Amino acid sequence: MSSSTEPKQGSCEYKDNLEIVMHIPIFVGLPLEPLKVLTYFCKRATFFPGDILVHEQEMDPNAYFIISGTVALTLDSSPENIILEFGEMDFLGALSLFCTRKRLFTLKAKTKATCLILPRDKFQKTLEQFPEIGRQIFEALAKSICRWEARLITEHALGCPECRAAIGPTVV
Amino acid sequence: MITKRSLYYWVKTSDLKLQSLLLFIIAISIATRVFPLEMQKRIVNLAIGLGKVDLLFLYCGLYLAAVVVTGGLKFAINILQTKLGQETLARIRKELYDHILTLPLGFFRKASAGMIVSSLVTEVVAAGELVGQAVAVPLNNVLTLVAFAAYMFYLNPILAALSFVIYPFILFSIPAMQRRANEANKARVDATRLISGKIGETISGIHEVHSNAGYRIENRRFGEMVDQLLKIRITWNIYRNAIKVMNNLFQNMGPFVLFIVGGYLAIHGRFDLGALVAFLSAYEKLYDPWKELLEFYQIYQDAKVSYKRLMEYFDIAPEFALEPHERPPHLMTGSIQVKDLYFSPGGGIHLLKQINLDLKPGEHLALVGASGSGKSTLALCIAQLQKYTSGSVKVDGKEVSDLTKRDIAENMGMVAQSPYIFDGTIKENLRYSCEALIEGESGTSESKRELPTLDEMIQVIQQVGLFVDVLRFGLSTMLPSDRDDELAAKIVRIRRRFQDEFGESLAESVEFLDEENYLYHASVATNLCYGTPNQEDFKKERLHDSAYFLDFLESVQLRALLLELGRELAIQFVDVLEHLPPEEILFEQSPIAANEIDEYRDLVPMLEGHAAHQLSEEAQSKLLRLALRFSPGIHTMVALSDDLEKRILAARMLFIQKIQQELPGAFSFYLSSDYIHSQTILSNILYGKPRTDHPNALERINQSIIHLLIEEDLLERIVELGMEFKVGTRGDRLSGGQRQKLAIARTLLKDPPIVILDEATAALDNASQKRIQNLVETQWRARTTVIAVVHRLDIIRGYDKIAVMKAGKILEMGSYDDLIARKGMLYELIHGTKAGLL
Ligand SMILES: Nc1ncnc2c1ncn2[C@@H]1O[C@H](COP(=O)(O)OP(=O)(O)O)[C@@H](O)[C@H]1O
Ligand SMILES: [Mg+2]
Repeated sequence: MSSSTEPKQGSCEYKDNLEIVMHIPIFVGLPLEPLKVLTYFCKRATFFPGDILVHEQEMDPNAYFIISGTVALTLDSSPENIILEFGEMDFLGALSLFCTRKRLFTLKAKTKATCLILPRDKFQKTLEQFPEIGRQIFEALAKSICRWEARLITEHALGCPECRAAIGPTVV
Repeated sequence: MITKRSLYYWVKTSDLKLQSLLLFIIAISIATRVFPLEMQKRIVNLAIGLGKVDLLFLYCGLYLAAVVVTGGLKFAINILQTKLGQETLARIRKELYDHILTLPLGFFRKASAGMIVSSLVTEVVAAGELVGQAVAVPLNNVLTLVAFAAYMFYLNPILAALSFVIYPFILFSIPAMQRRANEANKARVDATRLISGKIGETISGIHEVHSNAGYRIENRRFGEMVDQLLKIRITWNIYRNAIKVMNNLFQNMGPFVLFIVGGYLAIHGRFDLGALVAFLSAYEKLYDPWKELLEFYQIYQDAKVSYKRLMEYFDIAPEFALEPHERPPHLMTGSIQVKDLYFSPGGGIHLLKQINLDLKPGEHLALVGASGSGKSTLALCIAQLQKYTSGSVKVDGKEVSDLTKRDIAENMGMVAQSPYIFDGTIKENLRYSCEALIEGESGTSESKRELPTLDEMIQVIQQVGLFVDVLRFGLSTMLPSDRDDELAAKIVRIRRRFQDEFGESLAESVEFLDEENYLYHASVATNLCYGTPNQEDFKKERLHDSAYFLDFLESVQLRALLLELGRELAIQFVDVLEHLPPEEILFEQSPIAANEIDEYRDLVPMLEGHAAHQLSEEAQSKLLRLALRFSPGIHTMVALSDDLEKRILAARMLFIQKIQQELPGAFSFYLSSDYIHSQTILSNILYGKPRTDHPNALERINQSIIHLLIEEDLLERIVELGMEFKVGTRGDRLSGGQRQKLAIARTLLKDPPIVILDEATAALDNASQKRIQNLVETQWRARTTVIAVVHRLDIIRGYDKIAVMKAGKILEMGSYDDLIARKGMLYELIHGTKAGLL
């Protein structure tokens, strides 16, 4: 794993990153100043197949945006069963930006994958400097969780009585 | 016990030979002091009065000799006093410290470190100094007084009697004022102690102060205490000075009486002039010893007050005997019986109620229960760190409260919830328990323990999973340039193998040094100079101001380009950074340091509309400094143009040539065959820079290096270097997990028959936790009795017994399977609706 692209004339990694950060769903519509600060804090990293991004049960203080490649979500109890796959343009770990929790899943690179990594402590510092963006980000986050559950309900729970017991996180 | 001793004890036990020597010198010095007076009288009456020059010379000569001898003796007296005083001070400090260390833990919950520091460092000083003076000063001065007084009576009894009339008044009034001064002094001691405590507390909690920006609160509280002390000190000093002033006043009235009566007698011819002069001199001479006596009196009073306060404060008996009496420490097998144990900290609360336990040697017990249920308290009671209220705890049939600290230290190892790591190296911390036991044995016949060997230490750090960490510390050390050429040579060999064997596969993670290529993860300065400066003005913090270097930049037409780069960096980074608080961690990815942001923020407006070369010299210097720091791989906000890259590479070759011709030795250029002493061992092996700080990549690099170190048989050597890593105060340079591992390793090295673990793995990650659990279950199985307070229920299966605690009671106890089958508390905790609440 390494920072992927060496800086080349005309292209500047920071500008590309800013472009990406602006379009991350929970950051869409934020003023430019905080976006620039957030981008400044982002680092690129490349993972090779089999590299573990996040260990189940361990604190992971980062959020990840996948620039290229695929990563897989698994549980340690059954590492072969891939629960979900994420690829280009996916943003993972938004919740870890807000609170320290042990991760419930393991995240592993399936192909060579390049990610943009945003650390929580630095995100929190940004929030402190621009408190007004917190509300906006939180709203976007809540919406995406609701959307997810809505999909769960329509796709699974209606046709599967056992699954019904498992839904309901948005009631929190 | 030291706290019961009076000040007098320290005088009695001081160096008596010195004290007698002192007395002897004093006796002589008194004679030499009265002698000049007699000479004075004879000079006036015999030499001058009778006009005899030879007598004048004789008496003057004797006078001079007496004065010189008195001076010399006074100096000798001072030296002896100082020696006596300082020795006593050292003695009080050592013995008091010894006592303080053995005080029960409960004492330290109330007393703060700062208070103890102030007691040992400042408060004892007065007492020590007093002891130095205790014999000499009063005796010297009283005797001098008596001698002068006797001489005065010999001259003229009536006058003498008259001049002493005042003293009873002084003797009466001074103690009355001194009592008030003492009151103030007592208050001063207390206030000073409070302040010291406060400072100590604030400094230990400085993390919290910073993270809450609590500077104001702390300063206000401190300010209030200081003001309080100020008032007390002023009162105290006023009383002290009032005593002195009053004393002076009385003393100065003396000559008044003398002039009136003596003058009258002299005019009427009943008193010769020489005698009057001698009398007046004698009276003047009374002044000094009297003043010194008074000062001594004040010092004595002050010392008495602080000493009493000091000893009262520490007047607590240790709860347990320290050393066994006339027997070697017990060697135990490790059975533990707890019967009807109660513990109450007072106030009617019981933290432990009716605890019963029975462990055979080698049995393992897990204590589980919600936080606050008394698990740690129980562990502390068993480990003799807390005195239980009633009931009994027996180890090998012997009551714990009757055992000595030595017995416990020999037989028990405890890993606390947040273990303390001392300022020092990893090695010193690892050996702490063993070293303590060895020191305890010194002087006795049973010295059989030896300090653990390097191999043993390496083994335990491997067992607890600290090996890689220590190895990493070793790899991060810099070898001093004057030592260990053999090791340096071996490292260069590993460097070559690393390039050969891993160069290709790690090319994506490491940027190797290469004369021909630009290093994106190194600064422009490094890229240009391509070596380590050996001369002050080429060091990286000075390079941008070096005239030689600037000339060089000009000659290769880089200066303007770099100024332009600096300008771009300043503008881009200030744009983002000005929104951030100046904390170093937030400035990691910027060439501007946290403390420089103001400087550059002020600079940016000046950059608009000016070409870089039009700026002031100072501004240019700042821009150049930034440009020289720029590493495109880290400071990604600005890109390095291809053109500039090519020019820098070309300039590098020219620079190397130039230095080699003009200033050979000013730089050590990077050569793949040379060890670079200004860099760590790791960088020397890598011979390049990691392209990332992500743990995964660093891990991969480390793995490759470890592989080579093993093959070259250097692993242990590097780990040995790593053991010398300084962990910082309270182990601050280690992570919480590393501190816990170190504490476990310390106990493993000691290898006692009983081990008590209080959430010893709480700060560890999953893998490390499993490793330690595994260690408990294999290394200590059936060999070491283990009591472990466990905070996670998934690691308790391996224990022989499990006790579930709640509100100070053991609710149920038994094997894992039994308890689960019983479907009681444990079952409820693991499977029930309350699962996860632990
Ligand atoms: N010396 C003491 N004086 C008063 N209360 C104490 C003392 N030591 C501990 N406690 C209290 O006793 C309870 C049990 O503490 P502890 O044994 O540390 O619990 P656990 O280790 O199970 O979390 C806590 O509520 C704590 O506040
Ligand atoms: Mg506890």
